[in-house]
Amino acid sequence: MTTRRHLFHQSLGALLGSAVGSLWAEDGKLDARLPGGKKADAVIFLFMCGGVSHIDTFDPKGNKHAGKLIDAIGFGDNVAEMKRPVIPCLRTFKNYGKSGIPVSDWFPHVGGMIDDIAIVRSLWCQEGNHFPAVIETQTGHRGRAFDNPSFGSWVSYALGSGNKNLPTYVNVGRASSPVQLTGGYLGATFAATPFQAGPVPIPNLKPPASSNAAERDQQMAALARLNQEFRERHELNTDIAARIESYELAARMQLSAPEIVDLSKEPEHVRELYGIGTKPTDDFGRQLLMARRLVENGVRFVQICHAGGGNGSWDAHGDMKSHEPLCRAVDKPIAGLLQDLKQRGMLERALVVFTSEFGRSPWSQNTTGRDHNPKGYSSWFAGGGIKGGTVHGATDEYGYRAIESPHYYSDLHATILRQMGLDHKKMQFRALGRNFHLVEEGHGPIEQIIA
Amino acid sequence: MRFLATALVLLLGSVFAADTPKKPVTKMPIVPPMAKRPKLWSLQPLVRPAVPTGAAGNSIDAFVQGLYAAKNVTPVAPADQRTLLRRVYMDLIGIPPTPAEQEAFLNDKAPDAYEKLLDRLLASEQYGVRYGRHWLDVLRYADAEERMYAAPGIHYWRDWVVDAINADVPYDQFVRAQLTGYRSTERTTMQNVGRRTPLDRRPDDLFALGFLARGAVSRDGKDLGELQISAVETVSTAFLGMTVGCAKCHDHMFDPIRQKDFYAMKALFDPLVIKKQTLATPAELVVYGKQLGEYDKLRLAAEASVNAVTEPYRAKLYADRVAMLPADVRAVINKPEKARTPAEQKIADDYFPVLRIDSDKIEEVMSGAEKKLYRDLRAKLNQVTGATRRNMVKDLPAFWTVETDHGIEREKSYVLTSGDPERPEKTNPVEPGWPFYTGEKDFREGRVEAFSDWLTGRDNPLFARVAVNRLWQWHFGEGLQKATSDFGLMGGRPASQPLLDWLAAEFVARGYSQKAMHKLMMTSNVYRLSSSGPKELMKKNLVADPSSRFLWSFRLQRLEAEPIWDSILTAAGNLDTSLGGPSFDIESRAPQGRRGPAMPETKMNRRGAYIVRGFSTSREVVPNFLQSFDVDDGRAPCPVRTQTVTAPQGLFLMNSPEIEKASSMFADRLKKETDGEISNAVDLGYRITLSRPPSPKEKDNALTYVGAEPARLKSLAWLLFNLDEFLYVQ
Repeated sequence: MTTRRHLFHQSLGALLGSAVGSLWAEDGKLDARLPGGKKADAVIFLFMCGGVSHIDTFDPKGNKHAGKLIDAIGFGDNVAEMKRPVIPCLRTFKNYGKSGIPVSDWFPHVGGMIDDIAIVRSLWCQEGNHFPAVIETQTGHRGRAFDNPSFGSWVSYALGSGNKNLPTYVNVGRASSPVQLTGGYLGATFAATPFQAGPVPIPNLKPPASSNAAERDQQMAALARLNQEFRERHELNTDIAARIESYELAARMQLSAPEIVDLSKEPEHVRELYGIGTKPTDDFGRQLLMARRLVENGVRFVQICHAGGGNGSWDAHGDMKSHEPLCRAVDKPIAGLLQDLKQRGMLERALVVFTSEFGRSPWSQNTTGRDHNPKGYSSWFAGGGIKGGTVHGATDEYGYRAIESPHYYSDLHATILRQMGLDHKKMQFRALGRNFHLVEEGHGPIEQIIA
Repeated sequence: MRFLATALVLLLGSVFAADTPKKPVTKMPIVPPMAKRPKLWSLQPLVRPAVPTGAAGNSIDAFVQGLYAAKNVTPVAPADQRTLLRRVYMDLIGIPPTPAEQEAFLNDKAPDAYEKLLDRLLASEQYGVRYGRHWLDVLRYADAEERMYAAPGIHYWRDWVVDAINADVPYDQFVRAQLTGYRSTERTTMQNVGRRTPLDRRPDDLFALGFLARGAVSRDGKDLGELQISAVETVSTAFLGMTVGCAKCHDHMFDPIRQKDFYAMKALFDPLVIKKQTLATPAELVVYGKQLGEYDKLRLAAEASVNAVTEPYRAKLYADRVAMLPADVRAVINKPEKARTPAEQKIADDYFPVLRIDSDKIEEVMSGAEKKLYRDLRAKLNQVTGATRRNMVKDLPAFWTVETDHGIEREKSYVLTSGDPERPEKTNPVEPGWPFYTGEKDFREGRVEAFSDWLTGRDNPLFARVAVNRLWQWHFGEGLQKATSDFGLMGGRPASQPLLDWLAAEFVARGYSQKAMHKLMMTSNVYRLSSSGPKELMKKNLVADPSSRFLWSFRLQRLEAEPIWDSILTAAGNLDTSLGGPSFDIESRAPQGRRGPAMPETKMNRRGAYIVRGFSTSREVVPNFLQSFDVDDGRAPCPVRTQTVTAPQGLFLMNSPEIEKASSMFADRLKKETDGEISNAVDLGYRITLSRPPSPKEKDNALTYVGAEPARLKSLAWLLFNLDEFLYVQ
C-alpha cells in the first residue's frame, strides 16, 4: 500500500510538471521472457466481428464444386450431418507482389502489401456460434464468460506498460462482447481501456474551461489525502487497487492523450493513405491512424473491433454481398497502416494481426450467404518479425476443414507472444490455489511464418 | 461417471483441470449424451430444509453460521449505524439519505428503529425505480433496437414494472401478467350455457405485455421471428435460470435441454403477433379521426393527380408484363379476383412481385415534359404526406402489445436450422412444450397460458430458487448461486444450497412477496456486517475463501451507473424524482429517429433509471456515461452487470460537463445552507455525499485545501464527487 501511495505521489510529480509527461515504462508482472528477446513491441489486433469469409478473401478455392451437395456438419457439432449446396464464389483473385499470393478483389490494397503479410489458412476453433467463439478465441478457453482474461490483458500483464501516461491495452470500437475487454482473474487493472470509435475517442479528456492546471494539481493532491482512510480500509480489495491506478492513468492521460488522439496534425498525405476524409474508409482510417499513434507512444496492445455489436456485421448468412461494404471500409485503411508503419521503420517492431472468431462455410443456408465455419479459416500477420509473402497451412478443396498444418486458435496467441518475446507456456496466473494458463492447447508458435 | 469426468476436464479446461499436466488437445471433445448427464441440483424438487438451531440472529443467520464453521471463516464485526444507513438507502432506493434523515435514524433509540426504516423505504415509490430497474436488466428492457416495433410507448411497460414492484405484486403474478396479461391463472369463466368465456384483463396489465412485444425486432428490413426467439431466451434465463438459448442450433452442451426443447418452447410463442394499441380517451379518438378525415381529403386529391399522369403508363406496362407470362398463368391473372379458385389465387399472389409496377419504371418511359409534371405532382404529394400531415394531424400515443393469431395457432411448428425462420426442417416438426416437465399439458386456454401456469406453479423447482437468488444478489452484491441466470451445470453450485432452498420455500410461503423477502434478508445479521475488518482476520478469511463467497463480510460494491447519477444530482439539489414517462438522453445529439410519434421533451435531471438505452447499427444509443459505468444496451438479458474499473470513468468524474455543472450547484447549495461558513460547509458536504461527517483528519485536510474562500467550495464539491467512497457502498 505504501508503495502504491508512493507511486501516486510520484505521478503527481509528473502532473505538477508543466510539459507532457515523459515515457514512463513499467515492468510486467510475469517473468515469461524468452531468451531470444522480442521482435515486436506492440500489437495492433484487428478483429472483424461476425466472421470473415476466408473463401472470398484470402483462401481461393475456385468453383469446381459450386452447386454440389456436400456433407456438412452443422456448427455445434452434435446435430445430424446434413447435405448442403456449395455456393459459387463470385470474387476474382489476382496474384500480388513478388510472392504472387492470390487475394480477392475485395482487398486490392491489402493485396498490394502482400509481400509483408503471412497468411495462415488453417486456423480452427471449437465453438461455432458467435458469443462462445468470441470467448474461446479471445481468452483461449471455452465456457463461462469473464472468468478468463482477454488476450490483450495477458499481454498487458506480462509486458507492463511502455508509457505510463497511456493505457497498456486499448480497445477501439464496439466489441462483439465485453469479454473481449475483460481482465478476468488478472483483475480490472489489466482490462482494456475502451476508446470510442466516433469523432471523440476519449470523452471528457479535457478539463472544463473553468479549471486551471495549478488548481487541478492541488485538487489531485488533496484527493489523494482524502481518499487515504478509505483506501487503507479496503487495501485488500483488488478493485480499489485498480481504481487507484485507473485514476492515476486518467490524470496522466489528460496530459498526453489529447495530443495523441488529435489526428488533425497529421499531414494530408498520411491521412489520405488511411482513407481519412473519404466516406467508406473515414471511420476505420481514423481508428487505424490513432492506433499507429498509440503504438508509437508505447501502447502495447491496440485491439480494434470492426463492425461489432450483436453478432457482428461480418456475419453474412443472407448474402455474401454484405461483405462488400465492410471490405471497402477496411481494405484501404489497413494497407495504409502497413505502408505508414513501414515508411516510418515501425513495421519491424509492430505486429499487425487480421482475424475474426471464425471463417465462413463453403455452403449456404439456401441463400447466397455463408454459414459459420470454425473448422478451417484464415487470419494473417504482418510486421513484428513475421516472414512476409508467406502462406501457411491449407483447408480442404472446399475451404471447409483445415487439413494441412491445422492450428488451434491458441497457436495464434502463442505466435504473437513469441514475437513479443514471451513464452506462451509461462503465461500463467495463480489464484484460488490453482494455476491458470492462457494457452492450454495447440502446438505453440507457428514457426513457419516467423522470419 | 468416469467418462463424464473426462469429458468435463476436456471441456472446462483450466477451471477443473488446473495443475494437471495434459497433452495438447487438437480434436473436438465429446459431448456427454443426455442420458449420462448428472442430475442437476437445481432440478430436484424444492424441499424446505430445517433451520439449524442455536445461532443468534434470524433464520438466515442460522444457516450462515453453519457455513462459517464448514468453510473455516470468521465473520467481521457489524457495520456502524451510519454505514448501515447509507447501505440500506443505496440498496433499496438508490438515493443517499439526507443529513436530516441520517440524524433522525441515529437519534431513534427505539428497538425497532431499523425495521421502521426498512418499512419506510420499502413504502417509498423510489424503491420501485431501483428494484424495477434491476428486473428490467434481467428482462432486457431497451428503448430502441434497430427496428423495434414496440419502441414508441415501450416505456409504458417499464413503468408497469416499476409500479408492480412498488405495489409488491406477488412474483408469480408479476411473471404471469407479463406472459399472458392475466395475473391470475383464472382467465375464463363458465357461463350458464356451459361455455367458457374469457374474463376481462385488468386494463393496465395491457402494458405488462410489452415484455413480449419488446422482442419483435426486424433486422435489415427482415422480420426473423425475433419475438418468439427473444421470448424463449429471456423467459428461460430470467425465470428459469437456464440457458435454453444454447439449444437454438444444437442440443445443449451440458444441460438436459435438447434442440427440440428450444423449438417446442418457441412453438409456445409462435401464434403471437404484435398489435398496435392507440392510447386515448374517446374524445381524443374522435378528434383524431376528424383530423385524419380532413387530411385524407388532401392526400387523396394529391394522389389522384399523380395517378392521372401515371395510370396510362402503368396500364401499358402491366399489359406488357402480363403478355409475357406463360399462357396458363395469364389466364389466371386475367380472371377477376373473385372468380379465382384458392389455388389460382395462390398463383396470382406468387406473381404479384413480377407484376408490380414501380414508379421508377414508369418514369423511365415518360417523355421529358411529362416527367417534369409528374415530378412536380409527386413533390406536392410528398409535401402533403409530410409537413401538411404533421400540421393537421396530432398523432396519439400508442403501445404495442401481443395477441394470439388463431390462424397461425393451427399451423405446425418446426425445428429451424440455425434458428433461421426461412429454413424450417419440415421433417422435424415440434409440438409446443417446454423442458424440465414431462406431465400432461392442457393448451385449451392457450399455449403461453399453459406454460405460464407450470412456470409459476409449485411443481417448478426453478421458479422460486432463481428469483430469491436474484434478490440476494441485489442485496449482497453476489448471488448465493453466483451465475444468477445459469442454474445448469456450467453455473456451478450455490455457496449454500440449504440457505437458498430455505429462502425459496420462504418466498413461496410468504405469497411471493418481494418486500417480505427484502425485509427478511435485510434484518439478518449477515446483511449488517461490516465490509472490512482487522487485516489479519481479512487475510485469514481470504486464504480460506479467496473469492469471498461465504458471507463473512459485506461485499464492498461499486454503485451502478444509475445510483451514481442520482447521487450526483442529489448532492446538487437537482434530482427530479418523478416517476415514469419516456426515457431521456443526457447527450445532445440528433433526434433518436424512433418510429412513431416524436417523444415529448423530457427533463434532463430525472433519475438515472430513466436514461435512454438501446442499440442501433448506425449510432450510439446508450450515452457514454452509462457505457463507461457498465450499463448494457438491453439487447440481451443482463443478469449481472460487469464491473469494470477504467480510466474513462475517472475522466467522467474529473472533467465531464455534468460534474462541472453539478459541482457549481452543489457549491451554491453548501454556501446557502451554511451561510458561507466553510467549516460547516465541509461538514455538510460530507454528510450529503458520504452520509457521514468527516473525520477530524479529513476535515483538517479539506479545510486546508479550501482555505477561507467560499468561492473554492466548488473545488470541494468536485473533490467529494471524486472520492472513492462516493462511488462505493460499504
